Amino acid sequence: MQTLPDASVEQEEKTAVADPWVTIVWNDPVNLMSYVTYVFEAYFGHPRPKAERLMKQVHEQGRAVVSTGSLEAMEVDVQAMHGFGLWATLQRSGQ
Amino acid sequence: MRAFKRRRGMYAARLDTDERDVIAALVADVAELLGGGRLEARGPEAAVVGDGDPRMRIEPLPPPSDPAVRRLLPDASRDDPQIAEEFRRLTEDDLRAGKIARLTKLWDALTTPAEGWRADAFVVAPQDAQELAAAITDLRLVLAERLGIRTDEQAERLYDALLDSPQAEVADDAVEPAEILDPAARRYLVAVYGALSWLQESLVDLLLHDLRAPGRPAGP
Repeated sequence: MQTLPDASVEQEEKTAVADPWVTIVWNDPVNLMSYVTYVFEAYFGHPRPKAERLMKQVHEQGRAVVSTGSLEAMEVDVQAMHGFGLWATLQRSGQ
Repeated sequence: MRAFKRRRGMYAARLDTDERDVIAALVADVAELLGGGRLEARGPEAAVVGDGDPRMRIEPLPPPSDPAVRRLLPDASRDDPQIAEEFRRLTEDDLRAGKIARLTKLWDALTTPAEGWRADAFVVAPQDAQELAAAITDLRLVLAERLGIRTDEQAERLYDALLDSPQAEVADDAVEPAEILDPAARRYLVAVYGALSWLQESLVDLLLHDLRAPGRPAGP
């Protein structure tokens, strides 16, 4: 029988190493709630409930983490958000 | 002005000549702010950003001094100037070029009649609608900056004032607007902002409806 590595431990390590950065979208007084929801669904491929939850979080709490990953991946996401006219920043996860 | 509706497989709104002129002038202003030159004065060749020679920037690029442009091209970090600077150096030229390209498309669409449609029809293909919605966002962001709208409450009051009476005096209690606007100029910008918001909402409703339609492949 083959011995498999402890999947859960490896998974945790992978998350810690692979997702050290996050993309944050900030609230602004201009963007329509429907448009922000649309961007989250169309760009990230989030299902409607998740997109609406993130949109509400941005609106009510002022910000939401919309994606996690490597610095390079977050730069791509932040650039896309700026393309859509959303105000996004990137930072190290957990900051 | 009529909101976007689905017609003959397209998204179609109605804009009369005056409305088109007003929006096209704003589109040209925003494209110029972004460094795209005057869209009306374009030669036969398409507008290019910089010298049209794409290459990697080596030197840091300072943030735009105009707050409206800086809102279109914001800092990518709030607390790490190095990250913000690096991001700007790598992405700003592309972002500017993308925004100018879609403003150019919008300007052309506003100034060219849609063939086979009534004269006031403003028609966009569903696959181009996302770009149009994003271009309208940039127009609204610039107007909001000029109007000094910084908070949700200020934006709410502006909508309320528009609903009460489009001619009403809009309370000028915004936080230090970049330039002091005279009341007529302010009323004008508020009316354009309101109209664009309403137009964009109808467009996004269609986009969302089609995105969520069953049978559409999931994910990006």
